[in-house]
Parts: sequence; C-alpha cells; structure tokens
Amino acid sequence: MMSLPFVLFACALGAAWLRQRGVAMGFWLVGLVTMLVLFRVHVTEVLSIQL
Amino acid sequence: MSADLSRLLNAIGLLAIGTVLALAFVDQIWFRELPCPLCILQRAGFFAAGFGIALNLIFGPKPSHYGVAIVGAMAGGAISMRQILLHIVPGSGSYGDPVFGLHLYTWAFIAAALIVVGCAIMLLDDRQFSRAEPMSVRLKALPLSVLLLFLVLAIANVFSTIALCGGGLCPESPKDYMLFHIAPT
Repeated sequence: MMSLPFVLFACALGAAWLRQRGVAMGFWLVGLVTMLVLFRVHVTEVLSIQL
Repeated sequence: MSADLSRLLNAIGLLAIGTVLALAFVDQIWFRELPCPLCILQRAGFFAAGFGIALNLIFGPKPSHYGVAIVGAMAGGAISMRQILLHIVPGSGSYGDPVFGLHLYTWAFIAAALIVVGCAIMLLDDRQFSRAEPMSVRLKALPLSVLLLFLVLAIANVFSTIALCGGGLCPESPKDYMLFHIAPT
C-alpha cells in the first residue's frame, strides 16, 4: 500500500514520456491524493507541544 | 530566458532532486538506516514535485508545470514539517542520525522550500512561455538522461517500499525488511 504513490508517479512519468499529458496529470493527481491519505493514516500521535 | 535555457535549468533542478533521492537510497542501503513511513512519504513528495519539472522537460516550460512542482513540494514539505514537529521538543528523540548537524527530515523540508523558491523564481520570466521551441540537439542528452534517472528512481522506490513494508502499511519504526525479513546488522 505504501508503494502506491511511487507506482502512480512512475505511471505518470511513463505517460508523460509517451506524450499523454492528460493521462500523466491524472496519475499525478491520484498519486498526490494517495500520498496525502497515507500521510493522514500515519499521523496518529499528538504533538507534544504546549503553547 | 529562452526555452532552451529554461530546459537546462529544469534539467539541473530535476538532477538535484534525483540526487537527493539517490542519497536517500545510499543512506538506506550503505548505512542501513531504514526509512520510517513519513520518510517514505517525503520521498514520494519529491517525486510529486519532480514530476512537474519533468513535464517542463518533456512538453516545454509552462506555468501549470511549475504549479505541479510547487504543489508537490508543499505536500512533501508539510510531511517533513510534521516530522520536525514530532521531535522539536528537547528530549522527544529523533529518527536517524544527523547529517551535517541536521536530520534528514529537516534537510527534506529545506529542499522542499528550495523547490518552491526555485519554481517561483523561474515563473518570474514570461519569455520562456512565449513560444514552443523544439528541443535543440545540444540539450537533448542531459534532459533525457535525467528523466531516465528519475524514472529508474521511482521504480526502485516501488520495489524498496514493497520490500520494506510488504503490501500494507509500514511499521512506525522499521527494524528489517518485512518482505524478505533481512535484518540489517
């Protein structure tokens, strides 16, 4: 699951290489959202900062 | 700035990002420092940012491509900042050994900020967007090799992450490769 952003970004690069700009941007966007969802999943600890 | 000069600067920028990602691999393989989940996501952030620069190399410079790079760098930078804040209070520990006095997640935040600043400076020159010029023969080798390096690094990270975390989520502080169960000594 953690490798999913890399898979999607590699697909985006591959699509760009094949000059499919729209497809590449789509892969990038899905990759970015996946990355942020995985970030949210891993943000479990409360920061020990008292302001 | 001509489109050729813009491409050269973009190629250098992508090479710099590729170098950062390659050094992360050196740290993982040579120094046997396994990346934490946030570290892996910071690497993904560099790919998200580098993709915008790669688009500039393939399709020519466009403001939207710089936008892609900035959004990617901001996402990666936010993840780095989260990790910095986790350890900012004295006595709250750290992850990994410092390099030149700073931990890798701090360097990652600095690099993400530099990408944003670099893209902002590049966006100041409108002449690179004025017309689409074909890529000159002189500049073909560098962008192509940098793009290839970037693609290879992306694929290498797919395998590395699968080896480290298997098919699921990564442990918070990985001690070995889950897929092969090879304990680093």
